[in-house]
Amino acid sequence: MVNSYQAVSLKEALEIRATKTVIPYGGGTDLMLEPDENANYLFLAKVPEMKNIVDDSEYIRIGAACTFTDIMESELAPAILKKAVSQIAAPAIRNLGTVGGNICNGSPKADSALIFFATDAKLRLVSSRGERVLPITEFYLGRKNTSLQADELLVEILMKRTGLSNYYYKKVGARNALAISRVSFAAIFTINQGKIANCMTAFGAVSDVIIRRADIDDMFIGKTIDEAKNVKEEYLTAYAQAIVPIRGRISAEYRKAVCMNLLRDFLASNGI
Amino acid sequence: MIEFILNGHPVTSLAKANARLLDVLRAEFSLTGVKCGCKEGECGACSVILDGRLVNSCMVAMGHIAGSTIMTIEGYRETERFAALDKAYAAVSAVQCGFCIPGMILASECILAKNPNPAEAEIREGISGNLCRCTGYNAIVQAIQSAAKEGQGLW
Repeated sequence: MVNSYQAVSLKEALEIRATKTVIPYGGGTDLMLEPDENANYLFLAKVPEMKNIVDDSEYIRIGAACTFTDIMESELAPAILKKAVSQIAAPAIRNLGTVGGNICNGSPKADSALIFFATDAKLRLVSSRGERVLPITEFYLGRKNTSLQADELLVEILMKRTGLSNYYYKKVGARNALAISRVSFAAIFTINQGKIANCMTAFGAVSDVIIRRADIDDMFIGKTIDEAKNVKEEYLTAYAQAIVPIRGRISAEYRKAVCMNLLRDFLASNGI
Repeated sequence: MIEFILNGHPVTSLAKANARLLDVLRAEFSLTGVKCGCKEGECGACSVILDGRLVNSCMVAMGHIAGSTIMTIEGYRETERFAALDKAYAAVSAVQCGFCIPGMILASECILAKNPNPAEAEIREGISGNLCRCTGYNAIVQAIQSAAKEGQGLW
């Protein structure tokens, strides 16, 4: 017997999640690709607590059931996120697909998840037992495998309010519309008083999980642009070792070459 | 039992919550203007308007639309806006086989509802999820431009 549920509040959604075996349904654009006749869905589109984009003193808080269109139309959403989601699929898919679904589906090709990696976003995971806030880098256990518990829901994504304005984003796909990323790359770069205050990069569609290597990016922190140039080769070598692409429809060699080209272009665009 | 508003009328579907909206519209409500092309959100032939926004009905489970409003080409056909688009599409011969056209018309409506005087780039973006294998799109873009011009005040 198929039992699906339409929750109209977070409390109700969490009660259902705690007591039934259900698949959270955000916008459906991944789930409906391979529809399961016997699936029990928990429909979340009408849960108001998951539909807001608001800010507080520290974060911009994006409801997990916000669609890509909601983000494009939001005044609060950071430009790097708007840029990435505006290149997802086509309007009719962006009107359905949600950031929460994009993250929880667990694909390394998820274009919004890439931005959340590059900006060190955090996920607010809630169950009827309580809640936890987890850096997105700790959420993924492997391809299509996340640490979301059976009674939990991803309710909000928390992005830093400041420091995200100087960004780099490129998606390499087969065409403009309706393209799945072959390689995607996002980065944030901040100079403060002549020194690199922040360098955050992320590579999508390359490996089982989006690659975010803060330990390598931190080589630049506190350095001037000239000092950064001196460690550039060391930085690139570290990434050349860190990026181990999987072979899919696109060859691993191609993916690796594109990743390194994008990384060099990002550095060049910042004078390094 | 799923209740929603279909082309302006309250209806109740007997379909399961995980049935595709596309299949329900065609089989239960006999709305065959909603075309089934790819069933994977790529072609736009099954486009309908859900709460004012264009969506691929193949990508929507019935449970998602409980309490929502759905407009298909059969409902839109009754509007003045449709009449303006119909005339504009015909005037520039923007229709050949016609399979993409119900979705294309609804995409046109969403473009013009958002901006009554869209730039060509906005039009092309707005129909980027609606594939047409006959016309090469230029005539469709012209038709939408023409409807925007001739239908002043409708959007």
